[in-house]
Amino acid sequence: MKALLGIFIAAVLFIGSNSLFVVKESETGVVFRLGEIVKTDLQPGLHVKTPFINNVRMFDQRIQTMDATPERYLTGELKNLEVDSYVKWRVRNAERFYTSMSGDYNLANQRLSQIIKDGLRSQFGSRTVEDVISGDRVEVAQIITRQAGREAEQFGIEIVDVRLKRIDLPRDISESVYRRMEAERQRVAADLRSLGAEAAERLRADADRQRTVIIANAFREAEETRGQGDAQAARVFADAYGIDKEFFSFYQSLNAYQQSFSSKSDMIILDPNTDFFKHFNPR
Amino acid sequence: MAWNEPGKPGQDPWGSNSGGNSGRNDGPSAPKGPKKRNDQDLDELLKKAQEMFGGAGNKFNGGIGNKGIGAIFLIVLVVWLLSGIYIVDTAERGVVTRFGAFVQETGPGPHWHIPYPIESVQKVNVDRIRTAEIGYRSDAQNRSGSVLAESLMLTRDENIVDIRIAVQYRVSSAADYLYNVRDPDATLRMASESAIREIVGKNTMDYVLTQGRNEVVAMVRELTQRNLDAYQAGLFITTANLQDAQPPEQVQAAFADVVKAREDRERLINEAEAYANRILPEARGQAARIVEEARAYRDQVVAQAQGQASRFTSVVTEYQNAPEIMRERLYLDAMTNVLSNTSKVLMGSENANNLMYLPLDKMMTGGQASVPFNANLGQTPQPSATGSRVNTGSSSTSASNTDGSPTNIRDYLRNRELR
Repeated sequence: MKALLGIFIAAVLFIGSNSLFVVKESETGVVFRLGEIVKTDLQPGLHVKTPFINNVRMFDQRIQTMDATPERYLTGELKNLEVDSYVKWRVRNAERFYTSMSGDYNLANQRLSQIIKDGLRSQFGSRTVEDVISGDRVEVAQIITRQAGREAEQFGIEIVDVRLKRIDLPRDISESVYRRMEAERQRVAADLRSLGAEAAERLRADADRQRTVIIANAFREAEETRGQGDAQAARVFADAYGIDKEFFSFYQSLNAYQQSFSSKSDMIILDPNTDFFKHFNPR
Repeated sequence: MAWNEPGKPGQDPWGSNSGGNSGRNDGPSAPKGPKKRNDQDLDELLKKAQEMFGGAGNKFNGGIGNKGIGAIFLIVLVVWLLSGIYIVDTAERGVVTRFGAFVQETGPGPHWHIPYPIESVQKVNVDRIRTAEIGYRSDAQNRSGSVLAESLMLTRDENIVDIRIAVQYRVSSAADYLYNVRDPDATLRMASESAIREIVGKNTMDYVLTQGRNEVVAMVRELTQRNLDAYQAGLFITTANLQDAQPPEQVQAAFADVVKAREDRERLINEAEAYANRILPEARGQAARIVEEARAYRDQVVAQAQGQASRFTSVVTEYQNAPEIMRERLYLDAMTNVLSNTSKVLMGSENANNLMYLPLDKMMTGGQASVPFNANLGQTPQPSATGSRVNTGSSSTSASNTDGSPTNIRDYLRNRELR
């Protein structure tokens, strides 16, 4: 009785667990009846199926990432660029995804990678390096998103986003870029230094000019001043000596003699027959 | 209905569906997200289960009494119901799923959910700040090792820069974080990296490395956030910090030299200014000196003139009183002064024809002045009578000799010595 009950309960539990299944929030489910698809796009929650006849496959419905390996592409001017991109995609139609990719996410990634690379190759081939790096990055990504989106639809895949991560020059070209950058910096440095020298020279020259002008102006003022002094002195003399010209001449002469003959080394040869000696040699 | 019996008002699992405080935006563009389902199918299911259970219960009329079975059943039920209590930490949000489908998001505090296997809870920390390091990895010692493949990128002018950014973010919606994107954290890294390169690629190197630093980071943050929102990743970027923006290692020296050059320029200019500041005051000082010297000269000559003039006027008044005597006295004074301070040779003028040899060069040391013989000393002095200077080398006055007169010379010499 008890054993029977136990068996019965076990059977009920077994069949129950085989007839109920859960679809998680992040998934979608596809129900097969003996290998053919009978129900797709199951919502999350608890579902019922016929045990042993139906079986169920779950597909991750979250956004997946296809991180491509960096590839070399030729641009319009035949320069190599190393480009690293990634694709965000999700399963949109589980049935189609199952039939075309047999539900294999890795396979899907591979296919997408090919599609994206073909798209990039054609896009890069019609653009210059500068275009790709600065302006057209977003545009390229959008075009690829649209193109790849159409292709991926047949696999039941929706392309959410294609983004270009790295766009780099190959190593050997990078070296020459570095050399160019260095040369540019050297030019800037030389430029700065010579500008400095120029500015300094200007300042010095200006200072020198100012100095010359200052001194010259001072000299002019000095000469004017001296002239004033001389003129004033002359006026004073003229006023004073005008009183008696003849005596002035006599007086100044005497002063002059005394000043001129004032040292022992001056030799004077005298004639005794002069006024000065009139009492010296009385005859 | 035993399900509805737990004595926790407001915790009725069937009624609390509308109480979910999930801040989700179910916009038209939102992709498939979890939706609240009505619970009809579940109710039916439970009813069926109960009937089954009731049916099974009827079989339990065996050894144990109905009461005992009931008690055990009740205890089991209570324990099972109690296992649904869970506590959400302040930094967390609880995400409740019923049979895998999203039901609600619960805030901090104690909650109850229908126990396993019907409902389950995942807790997501929404306050913890997570960091994505782009272009470098810092280890435990906070030393950062650079990841060149990530940090080196091209600018618009085809230069290469080395940029490292730290993106800090947290979970903004626990449900989105769990259900919309596979590996949201890696997605954020990728989105950031792509955004940085996009922004840097749109700007010139100078801008990125100098005045554009903050703008670049702000734009990176905005762009990354926009991409994440498009994926509905449930992440919110709180800050993006520029750890470093530099020219690449290989050209650092050249860049440093530019900085040096800028300093050199400043230095040269400063030196020149120093020079100007040194010489201009000096020049002004010099100018002042020149001017002052001139003023001194002016004042000096004027004062001297005034002195001499007033002396002369004083003498002139006296002279006009007694001209003859004054003249004589002045003359004699002057001559006394002159002759007492000089060397003299007195010669008679009788033998004027005979040449007389005067060893003037011996009598005088050095070229000195001699006075021409015809000096009219003593005669009424003429104005402008001056002793004209004659070189000793040139023919001197034909001085007349007295008598062969070496003696005269000797006398002269003696006289000189006596002086």
